[in-house]
Amino acid sequence: MSKAGMLYIDSDTLFHRMDGAAKLIVLAVWTVVVFLFQDIRIFVPLFLIGIIMLLSAKLPWKRIRLLVWLMIVFNIFNSLFTLAITPAYGSEVSGSTTVILDLGYNVLTLETVVYVLTLSMKYMSLMPITVLFIYTTHPTRLASSLNRVGVPYKVAYAFSIAFRYIPDMQAEFRNISNAMQARGLGFGKGEGTLSQRLKHFVSIAIPLVQSSLHRIETISNAMDLRGFGKHSKRTWYSATVWHREDYIVIVTSLIVLIAAIAWRVQGYGTFWYPY
Amino acid sequence: MKQSIFNFDTKTVVAIGIGAALYGLLSTITIPLVPQTGLRPAIAILTIFGALFGPVVGFLSGAIGHIITDLTWGGGTIWWSWVLGSAISGLGMGLVYASSSFNVNEGRSTKGNIVTLAISGSVALAVGYGISSILDVYLFGEAPDKMWVQFYASAIANIAVHLILGVSAVLGLLKLNRRNSNLRVLK
Repeated sequence: MSKAGMLYIDSDTLFHRMDGAAKLIVLAVWTVVVFLFQDIRIFVPLFLIGIIMLLSAKLPWKRIRLLVWLMIVFNIFNSLFTLAITPAYGSEVSGSTTVILDLGYNVLTLETVVYVLTLSMKYMSLMPITVLFIYTTHPTRLASSLNRVGVPYKVAYAFSIAFRYIPDMQAEFRNISNAMQARGLGFGKGEGTLSQRLKHFVSIAIPLVQSSLHRIETISNAMDLRGFGKHSKRTWYSATVWHREDYIVIVTSLIVLIAAIAWRVQGYGTFWYPY
Repeated sequence: MKQSIFNFDTKTVVAIGIGAALYGLLSTITIPLVPQTGLRPAIAILTIFGALFGPVVGFLSGAIGHIITDLTWGGGTIWWSWVLGSAISGLGMGLVYASSSFNVNEGRSTKGNIVTLAISGSVALAVGYGISSILDVYLFGEAPDKMWVQFYASAIANIAVHLILGVSAVLGLLKLNRRNSNLRVLK
């Protein structure tokens, strides 16, 4: 089981006890709400609520550190990229122009800076809930909850297989790449030109694909022998019973969803510019 | 009783899972071009799995594999728009599977099949990631001009990987499987 729980961190908090399907619904509602709006005044509270939820799940910082840094680095690069390519886009959206810098090919406006901050906060507000979801839901329970929210069980099972075999494939990838490096093929920076490195990559990929194809045969035979797919429905060993808190969370998130849509339809929540 | 289209056989289920794991794992290898987009050799996995197992496996491996990459290495956000792009790409690469003269496991193919694979895959990559870029503008509110730059970069890089790595890998597999059999089909 330890292999299957690649990201999962075992603990006993509210979010660990909650059913995967309930968490999946919260994640979906959260995503839709974030997609609906373009207002930093909504993203900052959402981000803070997310952070509070994340803290209450007591995930060790050491394990989630990398994801948080990746997100921050991504936001910085994405913002700089947006500022460099479309320095006046914010004025197009907000309808006002406040020039702060002349770049030659275009002007950088204050509106674009606000726009870039809004966009970064939009991405950041999605992060805590996603991290919470993946670190508190066991992969096998993820499959059963996907099935519960209406995903056909064979698709849900494919999901579970993918999660289950990633560590195995990582190990295999490392083995092949070590073997290839021992033969003198380089994959890192400065170990050859781009085309050489791509060629060397193929020399790992081909054995990896070949062994994966064999693996498919083995696994599907084993599953067939155990009668997988005989019936049109399937029960899950890891399925949990819904408790009161699951119902409360689902009802709350559905109310939030309806409120958000109603608010958006009335025309609120478009790009907000303070000045 | 009507059969659901999701009622595929066990091998398909496993192929989706393993294809997704491979695509997800190899997607971490990126040669960056512009932020968030780069040259991803993993696209070749979609070509191989599409050609071997068909459009359904291509579509779902692309989608699940992309979700896995985003969850584990994407900074904690699932880019649903790009998930759809990968899925559509996988679907396009599997279209050639429907042709009766094409079967990788038996090492059978015609020149036309390979051309179809190359073209349908390239078109699917352009359409799929084009839809992703448009969705990014509407869902995330990204600047359209910036999305065009990302779209061109990703489309060109991915099509190059598909044609150079993907199609040649399929050709390699075809040759390998052909060599395994000394029998000829007389018609």
